[in-house]
Amino acid sequence: MRVGSTLLLKNKKCYQSYNWSYVRPLGSLQIAMDSLDEYECDEVAIIRPVRDCDSLDLFSRDLDVLRELKAMTPISFGGGIRSREHLELLEGLPVERFVFSSAFIASNQALVDSARRLFGKQAIQCLLPVKVDADTIYIYDSNKAQFLGLEKVDLALINELANEVVLYDTSNDGGHDSFDKSIIERLPLEKNRLVVTGGVGKSTIEWARREGLASVLIENKVLHNEYSIRGFKDGR
Amino acid sequence: MKVDIVDVGSGNVRSIKNWIEKCNVDARCVRHVDDLVSEVIILPGVGSAGPYMDRLRKNLFDSAIIEHVQGGGRLIGICLGFQIMSSFSQEDGGIEGLSLIDAEVKRLENRESHNEWEPFAFRKDQMNGQSFSSSEKLSRKTILDGRVFYNHEYGVINNDPHAFSVPVSLKLNQYSGMFVKDKIIGIQFHPEKSQLTGLELISMIL
Repeated sequence: MRVGSTLLLKNKKCYQSYNWSYVRPLGSLQIAMDSLDEYECDEVAIIRPVRDCDSLDLFSRDLDVLRELKAMTPISFGGGIRSREHLELLEGLPVERFVFSSAFIASNQALVDSARRLFGKQAIQCLLPVKVDADTIYIYDSNKAQFLGLEKVDLALINELANEVVLYDTSNDGGHDSFDKSIIERLPLEKNRLVVTGGVGKSTIEWARREGLASVLIENKVLHNEYSIRGFKDGR
Repeated sequence: MKVDIVDVGSGNVRSIKNWIEKCNVDARCVRHVDDLVSEVIILPGVGSAGPYMDRLRKNLFDSAIIEHVQGGGRLIGICLGFQIMSSFSQEDGGIEGLSLIDAEVKRLENRESHNEWEPFAFRKDQMNGQSFSSSEKLSRKTILDGRVFYNHEYGVINNDPHAFSVPVSLKLNQYSGMFVKDKIIGIQFHPEKSQLTGLELISMIL
């Protein structure tokens, strides 16, 4: 199982998030990546935390920073890839995998198919921001900036088109080892293709290993030396 | 020494360039076949085999790469770039490759894909008579022992008993993780994203 990290990219700067609403600035993306390279992080998901007010121009400006990134750690990138025009801007980035969220939630198969042809199926990840409220699970559609019932999402399509699915626990985002483990039982997705993030700590990592998940992404802490990624990887 | 990286708009050539330059070796991304002049050519690749071969052929890189190898030049293929060195790939309904190595590409058995870090080790003195044909001595290392990052759905099956091949892993031991034959090196993992092991490997290869 891989142990990685998430970084948020917003207005060309790097952030980490709390509670799905608050962000803490980290400075330049290159400096954050240099640290994660040094800590031998297994992978980094660089996510633009965009909602319903994104534009191709803002997307393009963030890509300028990503394009210049020098990193020796596998990178996945997503947040706001919503049209063919967005896809065309992705070519040549120092990125191995691309993360689609609203496109999957809206069942935009044409867009995902185009991405698969360009980058290969192994390069396609689906991000589902989720929350459990009163025993019911909801999926956040960033393009509409609202939570939807699970019945609105075509999980069979996601299973077919996505190589891996990232489950982001929005309620526990930035929390201390509080990822809601019931989430994976509530979604009919193959465990060995699941990546979890949102409140990931050492006990979550141990649990994810036992469950045979593909990866965990620690959304906080890993850029502080005392909480380096090595500590999480070795912690059992 | 200079290294040319074939750039057909598919693959993260910037990461490859960054990887080479970490060894203080000049690397450049080449978009036009006439500019392909260095002694070492790197063929990177991300995506699926059909569209990738189409782009190589459309830009006349296919014949130029074959001529480069026939003329004694060195070739390093990475991931899909390694796979299309073979004669045939199962991907996209069956694709004819460059036929530079005696190997075939098949879909990984019993799994959707392989997105993992794996241990990777070899000794230079156990390379089945092959060498990296390094013109420069950037490293005195003779043993590499580390970990490398894989992200693929198809694997290369080596049919050449004289080639040197390191298997992908214990579970995927029918597929080549690294292949060396004469002046051709094929690498299935992403050395440019394999951190310290990737850096040590390129200093041994170049």
